[in-house]
Amino acid sequence: MSADLNFARLRSAGTATLRSRAGISPTVLVSFLVILLVVLWSLFPSLFTGYSPVNGDTGSKLDAPSLQHWFGTDYLGRDQYARVVYGTASSVTSALVAVAIGLVVGSTIGLASGFRGGWLDATLGRFVDVLLAIPGFLLAVVIVSSLGFQTINAAIATGVSAVAVFARLMRAEVIRVRRSAFVEASYLEGGNRLQALLTHVLPNAYRSVLVLAVLQFGTSIMVIASLAFLGYGDPPPSSDWGLLVASGKTYVTAPWLVYAPALVIVATVLSINRISRWLRNSK
Amino acid sequence: MTSGYGRFALARAGQAAVVVLLAYVLTFLVISVLPGDAITNSLRDPQSGLSEADIQRIVQYYGLDQPVLVQLALSLGRFLTGELGFSLQSNLPVAQIVGDALPSTLTLASTALAIAVVFAIGIAYGAHYAPPRWAGLLRSIPSFFLSVPNFVIGLVLIELFAFRLHAFTTTDPNSATATLFAAVTLAIPVSAPLAEVLIASLDHESRQEYALVARSRGLDGAQLFARHLVKPSALPSVAMVALIVGELLGGSVITETIFGRDGIGTVVQKAVTGEDQPVLQAVVSLSAVVFVAVNLAADLLTPLLDPRVNVREAANA
Amino acid sequence: MSAPNPGGPTTGKDTTVPETKPSPLLGVEGLHVAYGDRKVVHDVGFTLARGGSLALIGESGSGKSTIAKAVLRLLQPAEASVGGSVRLAGTEVLSLPERQFRALRGRQLGFIPQDPGSALNPVRSIGTQAHEAAALTGERDAAVRRRIILEVFEQVGLPDPVRVYDSYPHQLSGGMLQRVLIALTVLPRPSLIVADEPTSALDVTVQKLILDLLGDLRKELDIGLLLITHDLAIAAERADTLVVLKDGAVQEQGPAAQVFAAPRTDYARNLQADVPALNPDRYRSQRTGAPQDTLQRTWQDSASQDVATQDGTTADSTTADATTADRPAQIAVTDVTKSFRTRGKEVRAVDGVSFAVERGRTHALVGESGSGKTTAVRLLLGLEQPDSGTITVGGHSTAGLTRAGLRDVRRHLQLVYQNPFTSLDPTWRVGRIIREPLDRFGVGSTADRDHRVREALQSVGLPDDASDRRPAQLSGGQRQRVAIARALVVRPDVVVLDEPTSALDVSVQAGILELLARLQRDLGLTYVFVSHDLALVRQMADTVSVLRRGQVVEHGTVDQVFDRPQHPYTRALLDAIPGTSGLASPAMADAPAEHRHIPKLAEAAV
Repeated sequence: MSADLNFARLRSAGTATLRSRAGISPTVLVSFLVILLVVLWSLFPSLFTGYSPVNGDTGSKLDAPSLQHWFGTDYLGRDQYARVVYGTASSVTSALVAVAIGLVVGSTIGLASGFRGGWLDATLGRFVDVLLAIPGFLLAVVIVSSLGFQTINAAIATGVSAVAVFARLMRAEVIRVRRSAFVEASYLEGGNRLQALLTHVLPNAYRSVLVLAVLQFGTSIMVIASLAFLGYGDPPPSSDWGLLVASGKTYVTAPWLVYAPALVIVATVLSINRISRWLRNSK
Repeated sequence: MTSGYGRFALARAGQAAVVVLLAYVLTFLVISVLPGDAITNSLRDPQSGLSEADIQRIVQYYGLDQPVLVQLALSLGRFLTGELGFSLQSNLPVAQIVGDALPSTLTLASTALAIAVVFAIGIAYGAHYAPPRWAGLLRSIPSFFLSVPNFVIGLVLIELFAFRLHAFTTTDPNSATATLFAAVTLAIPVSAPLAEVLIASLDHESRQEYALVARSRGLDGAQLFARHLVKPSALPSVAMVALIVGELLGGSVITETIFGRDGIGTVVQKAVTGEDQPVLQAVVSLSAVVFVAVNLAADLLTPLLDPRVNVREAANA
Repeated sequence: MSAPNPGGPTTGKDTTVPETKPSPLLGVEGLHVAYGDRKVVHDVGFTLARGGSLALIGESGSGKSTIAKAVLRLLQPAEASVGGSVRLAGTEVLSLPERQFRALRGRQLGFIPQDPGSALNPVRSIGTQAHEAAALTGERDAAVRRRIILEVFEQVGLPDPVRVYDSYPHQLSGGMLQRVLIALTVLPRPSLIVADEPTSALDVTVQKLILDLLGDLRKELDIGLLLITHDLAIAAERADTLVVLKDGAVQEQGPAAQVFAAPRTDYARNLQADVPALNPDRYRSQRTGAPQDTLQRTWQDSASQDVATQDGTTADSTTADATTADRPAQIAVTDVTKSFRTRGKEVRAVDGVSFAVERGRTHALVGESGSGKTTAVRLLLGLEQPDSGTITVGGHSTAGLTRAGLRDVRRHLQLVYQNPFTSLDPTWRVGRIIREPLDRFGVGSTADRDHRVREALQSVGLPDDASDRRPAQLSGGQRQRVAIARALVVRPDVVVLDEPTSALDVSVQAGILELLARLQRDLGLTYVFVSHDLALVRQMADTVSVLRRGQVVEHGTVDQVFDRPQHPYTRALLDAIPGTSGLASPAMADAPAEHRHIPKLAEAAV
């Protein structure tokens, strides 16, 4: 669920590469469509629903899903589908922020560590060990509790807790590439270390880091939803996906309030995971 | 060999101790430096019900009127002697709070670990030996498990088994059945990466030439699995055990909240809402200790299980 | 060439005549194998008599290993579909239920794999794995099984059977592991052993010992052998019958001596011509002949524009043998030593090595794994610094050079790596790869560089449009050509060739060697040629140093070393070259069959 395990998953030798034919399988296509829809929801929510996410019709509280209200209504009579659609932007952007932090900070640490080696590697390596030693979700909880309960802080916390994973993967990849014959060849051809780093090492190392970033995007959505579920994100009336599940769970008689946003989270993350696997296999 | 192993174990233990100390420092800095003066804020909160004398005593104890570095030194010094301080909310010793909550979380986490391992092995074995149709389905399960947040799993299980099938009641969260379902909630997201790694290494190992050679000696599928493939395939998962324990600790915060259990997770949640810095500091540092200890155990075990690992090289790594 | 001789029953080694034995040990008929839609084996058929030996020869992609696995039924039904007939002692095995076939595995049909390093489970001791083989004899008492295992270890010449029994695979050398595997395969006394390139991962001297052992055991225990190999010389030396495969189909088959000495098909003829040991003088004329084409002139002309080569034209230095003696050596390595510390022990990788290379000549460094030849190359290129001794290139010492100084040396000293699959950046296109040294050394203008890249592509025989492709779209031989173009584009004086063909098929190897020989003649290059293959060295080099455990045990001209080897190790190396010891060379093919004395063949087969 948190970032730490993604590393082990990626490092475990070339998984289902048996069928790595070119061409896009139907599941990958569906995944891309799901992600496209999610992106459109977050950019133009008003195109997808006429209801307001904030103001409800008190006459229709806790209605079951119907043609008018696809996901039913909540205790204030607000359309749950509209709440989900309007909550998308915050859920998606915060996950992007988290991935960006992990990717930029982690890759930089990993790159410096793997390429420079020596004392720098030892120092940064210890730092990464320490980040890794605190269970990812607990670290995120502690950071968000220090920064304050806001979705953006939850995103930062999630990003920081993923730094170690990016750093480790980048370091491993850089070391792998750095030792290869073509990098040594570039020195023999008069290249210097910086040239080798920029033209040979990075282009060969970034790919699996990119796959991790995609995977991590899905994981971040879940971690941020979990933080929101615990109430560590923006308070209502904002409608982050995790928060919707959390506020829905009080109404035992209206399970759709939980299932609808939960389904959206699951579908999104599943699609992202599928795309990440497709990226990993289509080398 | 033994002296080589001894030196290796000592070096690893030393590194582990350093990591624990640094993790303590990092946690301290995150908690006390980032938000400014949270600790005194919560002390001054009229709802805390503390007298002026109590507050003075606490300020004295934590060195709150002194620079952060001094506070850190005080706090670290006490941590090293095993003293965890006092809760700002309840004024109880942190050790007592943690001690009370621990058994419940331990039961939950160990049950979850057992379930996760069983799930993972079942999925991996099935993915490898079931008829192709089922195997394909089993291979996609980890990815599905990983896409469902564990609060969703928990809520669905409660909805289905408590509210509809009445297999357990949420009012008695410590019953065996309730614990079992809570453990399943916690186990599912943990079992998935374990299963993925197992599947991948089984794939890898069964493609190795030695598997071919063993088959050419007349071993059947089950013999090949039991004698040749299990051990090398399981080795990468040993290294994952620490990560899994970390996941279980982190996941317990949510699982315990959903199932209404009183455990470490609940303690964390209360400490976060109540800005109870010492409790948070203690729980997070202890989690790091657990993580590092399990990791150390896995590290020390690996050379014993895997004859290829050279301890003298590993000690310098 | 003698006239085609179908069936070949006149050569006196009639082990494959079907009529005399109603059910041969192994009969393969109309075998087809397809991986999905891709057909890799087409209508292959051959027979192997009881106690006989048959070699399947082919290059990569010929389907030889697939045939072996089909015979052993080791192909996964999900991956490959197998059709046709495979009969073992008269029993059809392809249609046999798995349960019944399993009873034949090991007991009737043994398998020796290619890479002994990965053929044993790395986390289980040798002993526990040996018990699996010993159990096939039906022996239930573990103590008795252990005794049987130790006996067979002794029999295959393992020095300390008990230690081997308790060891893990990574603690033994490749040669020892292959002995273990042979021991485990012969232990249940199968009637047929399938050996898939059993020695291609081993050093030459070890290779010979292992093949000898296999031959002796076969004789002793009357086991039939199906040998899979890419090496025609090994096949001819070790098998009675040869089956030459190309693209999954049989090109030619018949008695070994006949196929080897008088191949009927073009493909087999080419394979035979490409065996280095049979044609020691193949490239000699090309390397030392006068430059003929215009390429040399264009290279010289454009070279003189920016960097003048040290002393004028290089062409005459290659042709005029007499003048070379009083020239200073292009490369002089004097008493160089280099040690590494591994696991607290100090290992002298290179120990007092000296050699010199004259301009325009080829000097070979020969040795097996651990001989220090790789370290010597790294020292020469400045990738490592020697502990003592001096290295001069073009008269200038390379010791203690700054980074810029090293760059200047490397400008004239380029390397072609062993493995073209790892020496080219997979993310770059060929044009950019070849251009890299020009950009890095800042040679010429932009237009100039484009021109030179095209020129280099042409000179290595690649089409212009290759420059837009990535390495993955090229074959191994084409990649090595790209690597050569990259080394030559800055017009170095010296090119270090580190086993430049060991990752390639024989026919591809011949093309690369031809190219290297031509380029040397045309451009007056000096080569340092590193190899484990003495036959190749004889073809390519003028002078040679034989390295063993970091020391030069013998050096001299190729003729001296090959014709009158002084050191026993050199003699062992020479002796290990398959296809020597009087094996028929093309010149002898016209002689009557009875006069062709083939001692090793006789020894292995009788």
